Amino acid sequence: MLELSDIFVSFRSAHVLNGISCSVRGGETVGVIGPNGSGKTTLFNCISGFAPCRKGTITLRGERIDHLEPYLRAQRGLGRVFQNFGIFREMSLLENIQLALESRRDTSAGFLPWSKRTRETIERSMTFLKDVGLDGKAREKASSLSGGQMRLLEIVRTLALGSDLFLLDEPTAGVSPRMKEDIAQSIRNLQSMGKTVLIIEHDITFIQKFCDRIVVLEEGRVVLDDTPERVRSDERLQEIYFGRDDRSARP
Amino acid sequence: MTNMIEILTSDYGVHLAILVSLYLILAQSLNLTVGLGQLFNLAHVASYAVGAYATALLSTEHSASFTVCVAVSISLCAAFATLLGAISLRLTTDYFAIGTLAFSAVVSALLINWKSVTHGVLGIPGIPRPELLGIDFYDNGNFLALIGIFAVITQAILYCLYNSPCGRSLRALAEFERAAASLGKNTRRTRNIAFCVSSAFAGLAGSFFSYYLNYIDPSSFGLGEMVFILTIVIVGSPGSFGGVIGATLFLVLLPEPLRFLDISSTYLGPMRQLLHALILFGVVWWKRDKLFPQRRTV
Ligand SMILES: Nc1ncnc2c1ncn2[C@@H]1O[C@H](COP(=O)(O)OP(=O)(O)OP(=O)(O)O)[C@@H](O)[C@H]1O
Ligand SMILES: [Mg+2]
Repeated sequence: MLELSDIFVSFRSAHVLNGISCSVRGGETVGVIGPNGSGKTTLFNCISGFAPCRKGTITLRGERIDHLEPYLRAQRGLGRVFQNFGIFREMSLLENIQLALESRRDTSAGFLPWSKRTRETIERSMTFLKDVGLDGKAREKASSLSGGQMRLLEIVRTLALGSDLFLLDEPTAGVSPRMKEDIAQSIRNLQSMGKTVLIIEHDITFIQKFCDRIVVLEEGRVVLDDTPERVRSDERLQEIYFGRDDRSARP
Repeated sequence: MTNMIEILTSDYGVHLAILVSLYLILAQSLNLTVGLGQLFNLAHVASYAVGAYATALLSTEHSASFTVCVAVSISLCAAFATLLGAISLRLTTDYFAIGTLAFSAVVSALLINWKSVTHGVLGIPGIPRPELLGIDFYDNGNFLALIGIFAVITQAILYCLYNSPCGRSLRALAEFERAAASLGKNTRRTRNIAFCVSSAFAGLAGSFFSYYLNYIDPSSFGLGEMVFILTIVIVGSPGSFGGVIGATLFLVLLPEPLRFLDISSTYLGPMRQLLHALILFGVVWWKRDKLFPQRRTV
């Protein structure tokens, strides 16, 4: 599904990614962990086209996408959920979903607000909102939502876009413990729909439940790439998170 | 009260209604770029001038019909905007402000110095009113009906555009460009469309301005005019359709009572500008945090 080979990204003199290679099969869920500043978000930015790679190739379903503009990558099935909330707060929940539906090739978006096609898009948007229980707030501004609800909205919006590869950047950051379960549920939902999911997360106990594999990044390199159990028990993980001397601490 | 009614139905009232119609077209189309797209478009008055001069020259020197003049004015402005957008919308939006400012400077310089075409500061006199369906548009009441219809159509088109997929994309990318791109929106093309449409409507307004005044010169298309239209959009709250309509009525009509005070006409113009400047300053200060929602990046 997604193939990264030997990716290098640098900003001026700062080398953030130093030769990342990784491949993700269709339908797989892969966790990405690593200390702050290890380049996780930059890796996602590079895949979605916001951080140019100096060297290396990115292949999506056999097609090279590393030279494509971000919107073209999105049109090829790449969905992104941002670390600091990618919803449009000034717009209603409904419009957030409409935006996604209007990008799809199989929906023809109408120009006139009262046209049949516009009404159809609105109806379809409502069903997506209903799935996450946000239909009651459809006409409210998205800024009125809680952190967890914003994340849910962003995930369901990406679903409405029709993406089949999801890049979730810390979906539980800034989310109340109760909402965390709702987000876990929507990730499981993505899995049951056969979507491919990449999740950046600090809480390894949270993601090990649904990940097939976990990739550990440190200073822009892949240190570990293995099953959650083996990554958890690998002592290199403790070294990265707690330093070499403190072996007794556990993440 | 009877006094008010007399004024509104008099020539003066008709004149004011024509001004309001003209500024409704200008301000709402600027709102498309400055408000919805949060693009600092400083070329609006330059496009207005291009439209006005195109109509003036075509109708005086080539006796072109109303339809031809309006169509040429609109297309010319759209073409300039497409070109300017292609150059200055490639990079960050800050370059856009500079690019449009440079375009305005070029247009002002041409209006004054390209004397063989624009007649310089002397301007172009003798622009005839439109000839259409045998109606006498030298009658201001009839002219008001014509410009009124165009103003309403403009508002209707822009209202639909604001709530159309394209307008939504524009609002989205103004708020968070990367999120919009992640939803498959071609952000550069969307901005270009917005700028092009915005400019085309400024051209339409320019055309009507020429027809109405029968005489144009470069002094109508200065920086002061740009500031005035920007003031309307800012007072009306950038991006708000109804707000801009309200602000147009308010700002165009507000200084009018000054006329009835016993003030010499040499002070009237400056006083009006001062009033607008004070209002602009007041609104910017009052809404300093909320005027433009913060742009987000990752
Ligand atoms: N646009 C940029 N320009 C310059 N430096 C950048 C840019 N983006 C990221 N960096 C740098 O790259 C490094 C990695 O950042 P990144 O956001 O990828 O880390 P992260 O692993 O996502 O961290 P966190 O867990 O805090 O989200 C940081 O040191 C950051 O300062
Ligand atoms: Mg990050």
